[in-house]
Amino acid sequence: MSASVLANTAPAGAQATAAAAVPKKRRRRRGAWSYAGIALLVVLLLFSVLPMLWMFLTSIKTQFAALQYPPQYIPVSPTLQEYEQLLSPQNEVGREFLGYFINSLWVSFASTLLGIVVAVPAAYAFSRFRFPGRNLLFYSVLLRNMFPAVVFLMPLFILMRWLGLVNTSWSLILTYLTFGLPLSIWLLKGFYDNIPIQLEQAARIDGATRFQAFVLIVMPLSSPGIIATSIYSFILAWNEYVYALTFLNDKSKLTLPVGLQRFFAEYSTDWPGLMAASFIMSVPVVVLFLILQKYFVKALTEGAVKS
Amino acid sequence: MAQVRLRELVKTYGSHKAVDNVSLTIEDGEFVALVGPSGCGKTTTLNLVAGLLETTTGDILIDDKVVNELDPKDRDIAMVFQNYALYPNKTVYKNLAFPLQMRKVPKPDIDRKVRAAAKVLDMEHLLERRPRELSGGQQQRVALGRALVRDPKVFLMDEPLSNLDAKLRVQMRAELKRFHQDLKATVIYVTHDQLEAVTMADKMAVMSGGVLQQYDRPEIVFEHPANTFVAGFVGSPAMNLIPAEVEGSTLRGADGWRYDLTGASLAKAGTAPSPKVILGARHSTIRLSKDPGAGIRGRVYTVEPTGDITFVHVRLGQNTIVVSVPPEVKLSADEAVSVAFDQDRLHLFDAVSGRALRTP
Amino acid sequence: MTAALSPVPLAEGVRPERVKKPGLLRRIYKHRADYLYVLPAIGVMLLVIAYPIYDTIYLSFLNLPPNLAFEDAEFTGFNNYARILQAESFHEATWNTVVWTVFSTFIAFVLGFGAALALNGAFLGQGLLRGILLVPYVISAVAAAYVWRWIFHSDFGVIGAITVGLGLTARPINFLDSTSTVMASLILVNVWKEFPFAMIMMLAGLQTVPEQLMRAAKVDGASAWNRFWHVTFPHVRHVAVVTILLLLVANLNGFTIPYVMTGGGPAGASEIWITHIYQIAFGRIRFGLASAYSVILFIIMMVLGYFYVRALTRGDERTPS
Repeated sequence: MSASVLANTAPAGAQATAAAAVPKKRRRRRGAWSYAGIALLVVLLLFSVLPMLWMFLTSIKTQFAALQYPPQYIPVSPTLQEYEQLLSPQNEVGREFLGYFINSLWVSFASTLLGIVVAVPAAYAFSRFRFPGRNLLFYSVLLRNMFPAVVFLMPLFILMRWLGLVNTSWSLILTYLTFGLPLSIWLLKGFYDNIPIQLEQAARIDGATRFQAFVLIVMPLSSPGIIATSIYSFILAWNEYVYALTFLNDKSKLTLPVGLQRFFAEYSTDWPGLMAASFIMSVPVVVLFLILQKYFVKALTEGAVKS
Repeated sequence: MAQVRLRELVKTYGSHKAVDNVSLTIEDGEFVALVGPSGCGKTTTLNLVAGLLETTTGDILIDDKVVNELDPKDRDIAMVFQNYALYPNKTVYKNLAFPLQMRKVPKPDIDRKVRAAAKVLDMEHLLERRPRELSGGQQQRVALGRALVRDPKVFLMDEPLSNLDAKLRVQMRAELKRFHQDLKATVIYVTHDQLEAVTMADKMAVMSGGVLQQYDRPEIVFEHPANTFVAGFVGSPAMNLIPAEVEGSTLRGADGWRYDLTGASLAKAGTAPSPKVILGARHSTIRLSKDPGAGIRGRVYTVEPTGDITFVHVRLGQNTIVVSVPPEVKLSADEAVSVAFDQDRLHLFDAVSGRALRTP
Repeated sequence: MTAALSPVPLAEGVRPERVKKPGLLRRIYKHRADYLYVLPAIGVMLLVIAYPIYDTIYLSFLNLPPNLAFEDAEFTGFNNYARILQAESFHEATWNTVVWTVFSTFIAFVLGFGAALALNGAFLGQGLLRGILLVPYVISAVAAAYVWRWIFHSDFGVIGAITVGLGLTARPINFLDSTSTVMASLILVNVWKEFPFAMIMMLAGLQTVPEQLMRAAKVDGASAWNRFWHVTFPHVRHVAVVTILLLLVANLNGFTIPYVMTGGGPAGASEIWITHIYQIAFGRIRFGLASAYSVILFIIMMVLGYFYVRALTRGDERTPS
C-alpha cells in the first residue's frame, strides 16, 4: 500500500513543478490559443450561469412583476413570498410541495442504499474473481446503460401492475435501483481494482475467510468509492422523471420532478412559484455536488479514462 | 516449527506452466531462498504454499500432512509481502493484533503478545501510528511483526526487502538472518536478488521457467552450478560463459584461440557428450597478464574501478569477459592483454543441454 | 461441449489428474461461492431488464387493447412493425431524431472538449470554474426544461425581450411554437445540459496525457496545433469515443427536455422517437405498437452498445489472480 503511495508522489511532484513552469512559457508561445480558451470559458460560463440566475431572479419577483414586458432584469421589489409559501406547511401549496420533497428524499435515499448493498458485492466479485460467465454477466450489466428508459416503461408498468406496486414508491425504488446499478458496479469495480490484492491475501493468511477479508479489510478501504457511487445514484434518482411520471398517479406519492409538472398544470401562470420550486429542487443536488465534486467527477469519468 | 515438502508441484494457467513439477523438502528450522528472475515461478510457488493459489497437480505437505485443500487461514503460516500489505486503515497495534483476533485469542493475551512483538522489533513507540505515517523500514518491521506475533509453523516471505533502499536493505538482511537464528523458524524466502539468497539462506532453490534448476547450500550452488542458467544467475558479476569446442586436450574458441586444458578441467572435458561446450569462469579465477604469451589474447574494453577491486572487461574475439584485478593494477582501454584460467576452478558445460560437466 | 459430459464433482480426495481443462460445470461448481456476490445484482437486473426485454419483444407482436387485458390480445405477427415503418409520423420523427441526436451530440462534444482544453492546466479558480460549469448537468432536467420554457416564453421570455431591445427583431420570437425554431431551441437547451458532461470526461482524458511528452514535444519545436494533434489527441481519442457514444445514447434516450418543453409540438415538429413512443404507449395506450417501435430503437441501441462495451473494456482484462 505504502509503496504505491510513495510511487504516486513522484509524478504528482513532477506535475507540480511542470505546472509552475508552464504558464511562463505559455504567455510567450501560445498567446492566441490561450485567449481563445479564455474567451470560450467566459462564454460558456455566461451560458451556464445566466439561465440559473434568471431562474433565481424570477423566483424572487411577485407574479405581477414577473409578467411585465419588457421584463425587470433586476427585481424592483424582491420578495421571498414564493419560498415562504412553498416551504410552509401551514397552507395547501406548501403541504403539497413539502410532500413531494419528502417523497423524493425517501425514494432517492432508499434506492441509493439498496443499490449500494447490491452493487458492492457484485463489483467486488467482478474485480477479484474469475468465474465462468463473468465477462458475459459484466457486459450485460454495463449494457443496462444503453437501454432507453421509455423502452422499458411498458413492460415495467405491466410488471409493477402485476406486483401491485403501481402508485407506490417501491415501484420507483426498484426501478431506480437498477438504473443506478450498472454505473455503481462499474465505478466500485474500479475502486476495488485499485486496492492491492495482497491486503486480502494477508488477511486470509492472518486467519480470515475470504468473506471476512472482504468485510473487514476491503470494505472500509472502499468507502470513498461507496460515497462517490452513492452521490451519483442519489442525484440520478432525485432527478428521474419518466418512470415517476408513468408509475405514480396519486398526488400524495409524487416525487418532485412530477410534482413540479403537476404544480405547473395547476398554477400555470405562477412563474415565480415554479422558478422557486425549481430552485428548491435544485439546491440539494447542487449542494451535494459542490461538496463532493471530486467524487462525483470520479464517478462520471471512472472507467472511460482507464486505459 | 515444521517441515515443508513440495511433491511434483505443478501450476498451470491455460497452457502456460508457471510451476513445472517442482519437488523439494524444506527441513524444520531451515531458511530456504527461492530465487530466480521475474516470471520464473518462485512467487507462484510461494503462493501455492500459502494457499492463495490452488495447485493444479502435486502436493504440498506441512509436517507430513497434505494441505492442498486447506484455506490459507488453516495452514498455520505467516507471510510477509513485498509491499508489506499492512492494513492502511488500522494502527500498527491493530495490524499486529489482527491475526490474533482472527484466531479468537483472548484480549489480554493479544495485548501481551502484541507488546512483546513490538518490543522485539523495537517499535513500541509506533503502536498508535498508521502505516502511511511510517518509513519504509518501519513498515517492513510491522509486516514482520504481524507475521511473528502468532508463532506460525512456517514463515513465507515474498521479496520483503526489495522496496527498501540499498543501505536499509543490507541492515534488514542482517536482522532477518539474526531473527531466523534466534527463532529457529522455518522460512521460505522469495527473492530475485541472488545476493540476498547467498547471504541469508541455508539452502537456495534456483528456478527458471517454472523449473527447479538447483537446490543446495549457497556455497555449493556458487561453486558447482548445475547448469549454465545457474552459473549465469548466481554471483555478481555473473560467471563468464564462452562457447568453445573440445579438441583432444585443447579448447578452441569460435574466434580461433586455443587453450590447453590440464588436471580437473581435462577430466571434465572428457565427459562431454559432444565437442561443443561452454567454458565458465568466475572473474576471480581468471588471471590477466600483459604478457601476450601467457594465455588467450584479448584486448581491454573498459576498466571499472570500484575502490577495493577493479573489474576489467576484456574482449576475446566476439565475447566479452569480466576479470577482477587489484586496484593498483593500471590498465587502459584497447591495451593488449592475455587471459589464463585457474584450471581447478574452471567450469565446463555441455553446450546442448547446458548441464555442468563433472569430474568423473 | 465438455460441460454435458462433466459428472457431478468428484468425491473428496480424488484429484482430477487427467483433466487438463476442467469442464464448464466443474468450473462453475468450483466457483459456486463467487456467484453469491453477484446474485443480488443479477437477480435485480433479470427482473427489471431481462424480463422487460422479453416482454417488449412479446408485446410487439400483439394487438393489446387499451385496458391492457391480455386475454383479449391478439397475435398479429409483424403487423405492428409494418404499420410503424409505413407511418408518415414515423418518418418525420426519425428525421427529427437524427437532427436532435446528431446536433446535440456534436455541439455538446465540441463545446465540452473546447472547455476541457481551456480548463486543462492549473490556474487559480480552476476547480471553482469547473464546478460552476458542471451545475447544469447535475440539476434536474425537469427544472431545466421549465427554466428554459420561461426564458423562451412567447410574451414574457427574456430572450425575446433582449432581441427586441437590441433591435434584432421587431416582435419577440415565438421560439417554441414555431416549427422552424423549435428544434434548434430544444437542442440549445440540451447542449446547455450536456456539454458539462463532455467537458468533464475530456478533462479527465486530458489529465492522462503525460506532461513529459508535452514537454518533449515543446523541446522538439512542435507548434501548439501539432502538439494537440500528435500528442494530446491520440491520448484522448479513446475517451472521446466513449464520450460521443454516451452522448449519442443519452440523446437518443433524451425524453424529459422535449416532453416537458413542447410535448413534441408544434404539429410534431419536435417529436422524436422517444417522445413518440411515449405518446403512442401512454397517450393512445397502444402498447403493442409502441413495443414494436421500442424494439426498433432497441436494435439501434444495441449496435451502439456493442461499440460502447468494446471501447470501455479495451485493455481492461488483467491477468487472472
